[in-house]
Order: sequence, then structure tokens, then C-alpha cells
Amino acid sequence: MGYLLDSLSTALGMIGHFNQEVLTAVGTSLYTSLVATLFSTIIGVPFGAYIGLKKFSGRRAILTLLNTLMALPTVVIGLVLFGLFSRQGPLGPLGLLFTPWAMIAGQTVLATPIIANFVLAAVNGSDQRIMNTALTLGASHFQAGVQLLKEIRFGVMAAVIAGFGRVIGEVGVAMMLGGNIRGVTRTMTTAIALETSKGEFAFGLSLGIVLLSVALIVNLFLNILQQR
Amino acid sequence: MKPAISIRNLLLTQGDFNLAIAKLDLLPHRIYALTGANGAGKSTLLKTIALLTLPQKGTISFPRTKATSLSQQRQIVTLVEQTPYLLSGSVYDNLAFGLKLRQIRGQEQQKRIDHALARVGLDGFKFRKASELSGGEIQRVALARALVLTPQILLLDEPTSNIDSASLEAFEALLGSLPDDGMTVLFSTHDLTQPERLGGEILLIEKGRLIN
Repeated sequence: MGYLLDSLSTALGMIGHFNQEVLTAVGTSLYTSLVATLFSTIIGVPFGAYIGLKKFSGRRAILTLLNTLMALPTVVIGLVLFGLFSRQGPLGPLGLLFTPWAMIAGQTVLATPIIANFVLAAVNGSDQRIMNTALTLGASHFQAGVQLLKEIRFGVMAAVIAGFGRVIGEVGVAMMLGGNIRGVTRTMTTAIALETSKGEFAFGLSLGIVLLSVALIVNLFLNILQQR
Repeated sequence: MKPAISIRNLLLTQGDFNLAIAKLDLLPHRIYALTGANGAGKSTLLKTIALLTLPQKGTISFPRTKATSLSQQRQIVTLVEQTPYLLSGSVYDNLAFGLKLRQIRGQEQQKRIDHALARVGLDGFKFRKASELSGGEIQRVALARALVLTPQILLLDEPTSNIDSASLEAFEALLGSLPDDGMTVLFSTHDLTQPERLGGEILLIEKGRLIN
């Protein structure tokens, strides 16, 4: 028990004194996760809205695929992208492997189905009169779709936050595609895994507390949005 | 005289319900009242003319306009639904929505919005939140939102269903004046005396078919 309390005290001290190593890992985590969430939002929001609004053959297959992708293990995404980005892979010449951009690519793949699915659910649950109202006032289908997204903006924001929550806490993609390089691709999650295995429990704990705080803030936002 | 709305051999099937209109021509600058029992197809016909529901067969055309594409045609026909949806934001935002789509901005936009709100008796409501309005106010805002666009064809689904009796006379006077503004008005109603009061022609619909 004393060991745990001592570690906790050291961890809180590291956070309080803005330990450089902790800050760098937090910065890398936030940077990769925010950029990946941005890309996933740009792809996932219109895709989810389109699938929700359009009836076409093959829609059911896409819905099944989206649901499957939601449950995709992060190491599988890491494995596939590792194959693409590795020196012998088709995207090897780009030299992306073990850079933040490889992690961003993996996290984008991870978050896009989540955001698309949440937006799809929000569109399916929206008032059917929204589209009719916009159309009868002279909007094109595209303009009416944009208006629909404005009307269900809290659902869209919840989708984005859920996507961010998924990538900030993942370890598989960051480890396999980032390589856990100190000061470059070391994130909160990969640092926790590495430092704890090295016996630096207090350091891992300090990052765990920060990660938990970020997750808590994300979930608080999500709850507030869902209640509106 | 060219009709404002021309329907030929229209067939729309929704589950067990068939809307079948062999021929219907509505003349411009007139007011028409669509009556019939619940489920007779009044709302479906209005939505079909508004091009929100597309028929499986037949044609709906607007011979007095050059509009050919769906989006062009939707700019000359406006439908006010029985339980209208007001977009989030203020009353002003709702009225400005269609005007912005038509690139009407600035002073002209302001003028039109003020005029439309005055016509439906909602002066001073411009900056009220849409979510804070009563049922009757929502219906008036929805009508103002349509009037502000000065559509050639105005479709109204039971427009007086949420209007209290004290305001009904003024509201009906407004509806009756719309053909003078160049609009062709088709509205649905259960009140068979209303068409007479508004000087309108009655169209009776039964089980998806017009009875002449």
C-alpha cells in the first residue's frame, strides 16, 4: 500500500512540476488524436449523413461493414497499415512509418467508422420534417443535408467527441505505427506501457492520471451534449 | 389560360394506399380547397405537388414557368405542413433561410421579413426563439416563412388547425387575399364552409381519387 501511495505522490508531483517527459507525451497524444479526429470528422460526418439519407442497393452491406469496423481491434489496423507503410510496402517510399503521420493515419481509420456510425444514428433519429422543410423552401438536396446537420449538431458533436475519446486512449496503433520513439511518437498510452514495464511505475501513473482526466472531460462533454 | 399546376395520369403507391389522379389543372391566381376524410390522401397530394414525394407514374408540371429541374421547380412551389417544423434559431433565421437560398440579403431581406411577419400578425416576433413559440405561433411563422418567398404556388396543409377562433377571421382574410398577390393557393381543410368564405373552389378527394 505504501508503494502505491508513494508512487501516487511522485506522480502528482511530476504533473504539478510540469515534468518535461510527461508534457511531451501529453502533447504528442493530443496532437495526433486531434488531427486524426479532424480527418475522421471530415470523412465520417458527410459519409454517415449520406448513408443515413440515401436509400440505395448495397446500403445494408455498408451498414454491416461500418458496424464491423467499429469493433476492429487497434492492432489489426496497426498491422495492415504497418504492411502498407513498411519499407517493402506500397507506401514505403513516403517514409511515414514511425512518424506521427503514420499514427494519425491509423487513428483516422480507427475513428472514422465511429463518427460515421454516430452521425448515421443521429440522422436516422432526426425529425423527418427537417429535410422536407429545407427542400420546400428551395434548398437543393445538398443544402438540405447541410441544414439537417446543423439541426442535429449536438448529435454530430457527440460523434466527434466519441471518435476523439476512442483514439486518445488507444495503444495498438500508436505502438505499431509510431514505434514509441521518445520525444517524437511517444504518446501517453505507449509511454505508460513502456515505463511501467521498465519499473517506472510513478511515471506511468502520472500519465495515467492525465489520460484519465482527458477521458473524464471527454465523457463529461458527451453527457452534457446527450442531455440537450 | 395556361394552368399553374397540371397533373396527368399521376400514380403514387405507398403501401396499401394509392394516389391516382388522371387529370387536374389548377388555374393561376385562384384559391382551391382540398377536402376529404382523414386518410383520403390530402396531405399526400400536397406533398406530391410540392415535389417532396415523387410519383411512380405520371407528371406534375407548372406550365406558367420555365423551371424544369426539381430544384428550380421547388423554388416556385412552397408547402406549409400541418405541423410545421421551425428550424433552430430565431423567427428571423427561419424567414431568412429561403431568402438566403435565393441570394436575397441586406435591406431587401429585412423589408420582406418585416412585411411577412406583419401580414401574419407577428410584429415584434422577429428575434423570438423558434423553440419558445406556441402551436398557433409556429403555424403563423411557417406561413410567413412561405409568404416571404412570394411563391407562385402556395400549398397549405390544414393551415387553420392551430389558429384560435379569435384570430381565424383575420387569418382567413389573409389567405383569401393571396391570389391578389399573384399566388395560386391550394389548401386542405375539414371545414366545408371555409372554401366558401375564402371564395375558393372545392376539390373533393376520396381514397386517393379526386371526385368531380
